[in-house]
Amino acid sequence: MAVNAAPRTPGWHRGRVASWLVTTDHKRIGILYIATALAFFVLAGIMAMLMRLQLAQEDVDLLGPDRYNELVTIHGTAMIFLVVVPILAGLGNFLVPLMIGARDVAFPRLNALSYWLFAFGGLVLMLSFFADGGAAKSGWTAYAPLSTQDPGSGQDLWILSIHILTASSLAGAINFIVTIQNMRTRGMSWTRMPLFVWSIYVFAWLLMATLPTLSAGLTMLLLDRGVSIGGWDAQTNFFNAAEGGSAVLYQHAFWFFGHPEVYIMALPAFGIISEVIPVFARKPIFGYKAVAFSTVAIGFFSMLVWAHHMFTVGLPNSLNGFFMVTSMVIAVPTGVKIFNWLATLWRGNLIFETPMLFALGFLSIFTIGGLSGIYLAAFPIDWQVHDTYFVVAHFHYVILGGSMFAIFAGLYYWWPKMFGTVLDERLGKWHFWLLFIGFNVTFFPQHLLGLEGMPRRVYTYSNGEWEGYNLTSTIGSWVMGIGLLFFAWNVERTWRKGKRVGNDPWQADTLEWYATSPPPAHNFDEVPYVTSARPLYDLRRRLREKDGYRAPL
Amino acid sequence: MRALLVLAGLLLLAVALAPAALGGNGGFAPVPPESPNAARIHDTWIFVSIFIVAIFVLVEVLLATFIWRYRRQRRERFEDGPQIHGATNIELMWTVAPVIVLFLIGGFVFYKLPGIAEVPSASASGEERLEVRVTGRQYYWQYEYPNGAIAIDKLRAPAGIPVRLEVTAPDEDVIHSWWIPALGGKIDAIPGITNETWFQAERPGTYDGQCAELCGLEHANMLASVEVLPATEFAAWLEERDRERASIELGEEEWQGVCAKCHGLGGEGGIAPQISGSPVLTNPQELEEIVRNGRGEMPAVGSGWSEEQMDALIAYLRETPPSGS
Repeated sequence: MAVNAAPRTPGWHRGRVASWLVTTDHKRIGILYIATALAFFVLAGIMAMLMRLQLAQEDVDLLGPDRYNELVTIHGTAMIFLVVVPILAGLGNFLVPLMIGARDVAFPRLNALSYWLFAFGGLVLMLSFFADGGAAKSGWTAYAPLSTQDPGSGQDLWILSIHILTASSLAGAINFIVTIQNMRTRGMSWTRMPLFVWSIYVFAWLLMATLPTLSAGLTMLLLDRGVSIGGWDAQTNFFNAAEGGSAVLYQHAFWFFGHPEVYIMALPAFGIISEVIPVFARKPIFGYKAVAFSTVAIGFFSMLVWAHHMFTVGLPNSLNGFFMVTSMVIAVPTGVKIFNWLATLWRGNLIFETPMLFALGFLSIFTIGGLSGIYLAAFPIDWQVHDTYFVVAHFHYVILGGSMFAIFAGLYYWWPKMFGTVLDERLGKWHFWLLFIGFNVTFFPQHLLGLEGMPRRVYTYSNGEWEGYNLTSTIGSWVMGIGLLFFAWNVERTWRKGKRVGNDPWQADTLEWYATSPPPAHNFDEVPYVTSARPLYDLRRRLREKDGYRAPL
Repeated sequence: MRALLVLAGLLLLAVALAPAALGGNGGFAPVPPESPNAARIHDTWIFVSIFIVAIFVLVEVLLATFIWRYRRQRRERFEDGPQIHGATNIELMWTVAPVIVLFLIGGFVFYKLPGIAEVPSASASGEERLEVRVTGRQYYWQYEYPNGAIAIDKLRAPAGIPVRLEVTAPDEDVIHSWWIPALGGKIDAIPGITNETWFQAERPGTYDGQCAELCGLEHANMLASVEVLPATEFAAWLEERDRERASIELGEEEWQGVCAKCHGLGGEGGIAPQISGSPVLTNPQELEEIVRNGRGEMPAVGSGWSEEQMDALIAYLRETPPSGS
């Protein structure tokens, strides 16, 4: 007698909405992550465009200083914690089990918990605009004592929100590490693992290593702001100089997390690029081991560079020198990646479909962001450009032009696997070109503004020389906004009448394309034995050798 | 597709040129230096730029060339390229080459560093350096000279003589950052910590800058400037400030730097309420009480002020009560 061993699902779990609310399927959770993060992206993007309007000309009276400082703070915090990291976590959720031939992540329920913590943490942050005194106003870095002195409850909600998001990320990181260590399919040794999985593996370790420091720093910040439990009031003075504390201590705690966070956002983006470029160049990645090892090296060194954000606090120059050298060391594995991607293009059969356009756009933009980082690492130069628009330009080249372009490459590339339909090429090209042009028009002039002396985080300026660049930048931001509307239109159109494609529309190399599109709940009926880093390429070649099989277009 | 690429190329070129055309001359290097430390930072910038521009051109030209040279053309959509998996020698080459470049950059930084960071004790002709204490406060800069004279927001300095600045912030204030781009890099003004920086401007003139660390609502208006005067003129000014400790001039600086940033130049109100016509302004006791201790949302902007400093403000307000509305 056959026994049905599947767990019983209550009827209410099967509804159209309810099934998404109670799901523990890594694919659905991944899609939830991405959809929620894109919604936050819309909000954070609107905030950015409002700030650009305020700065379009001198003495604009659109946003007051308090509103501007709120937007500066929440835009930065949201883009990092609610957009870039969660989309990457979402792609990781969707892809890692499929790429390693597993049925799900190691702890599916924990996975659902981390998604819901993220969603609620994000809500706390966004709703803090309605708090007493408005949202937090001290920038995404929340430097003490500015952040400890703000009387409003927005700063407390900001801390609460980051605490929730930290718990979410930790749970997710544990899940990724356990899954990748233990659940790879037969034959998938470490050096046969897709490079995206490598990047998620290091991403997860970095989160594990650095988030506790952030939590400690933020808890100290919260206690410094004063707590009141059941009529019992207490206040600490970790960062309060008047009582013997040190404001610089907070900066160490924050940046020990804050710099690796940059690589938490960059490494999975590198992973996406390492998947997309070979497929659209019809070649294997050049130097697989070098690319994988450079990921590990970047992860390791990223924990040794934090004080390059603190070159102006007056540390001894011996320390400044140390952090300059470590920061420059990171440029080496990063350069290795860029050269390997270029070498992958070399002699390829390049196909310029939208995922490839975004990957190439990433390469050209990220190079600029990486190179401007060398200036910042050379600390006497940093004494000039620190906390100016040069830095704003630099990190937008790295995070928006880098990570977000890679994310779009990934979304266009894996969309067929997620939904079985392919995003429209024509709208995709409009999306890419408007975003690419708008991005450079917005952020390139900001380098120049910074060199001319415009500090970041100012709600207005009136020195008579900065209007040209600022107006250019504002115009660019609206070009980007229009480009993103094309993406929204593309998604909407594909949703209604997208072209259905097969399981492997790009003739790609990795295991996720072996599953159906979209994959069934259990992912695979069977997984082929993995003999290289490109199992599907091997499969196609064996089929071709056996019976002259040619994959359909 | 080809048309699109050409179009994009032209647009990018326009992007690269437009800001230069719109923004006048500048922005491709730090502002022209007027002090030896700023000049050495400028040299470092130029040195680093040689490599940065070279690597930038190398990578982007390779990228563009490969995109053009290896585009699909008439090949089949899924035709494989050559199955090249890598080459150890090449990997070694592009690992070692950047190390050499970074070694050169790092070496140059350390070579220039003493001339940037070390404060000279006297000018070349032997005049001893001047020491000024710079205190960053929400939202003004206060300068104290060795003889006890005080100035707000505008720092006067003698030409040709090194000026050493001790930069700090009061314990109960927040972090600010002192920065006059033409006179060198920035240094943070942190509660409880005293940092130092310096400049030595040869040419008289006024050099502008502003606070570079988010310090609250009026961060954007926390401007600073350095007026470099010929040495004799400076000495006369300093003596005058010292003799008239409670001068109307200081009172005016205090009104403009300390009060007007929130209340408006004419007291007409800004992020803080209108105060023109308020009886507090002409009542010395009440004015002192509110300036020293703050009230409601107003911070204690004048905590720690000397008697003379307070008298200067009182005298200025008595003479020219703000009348904006």
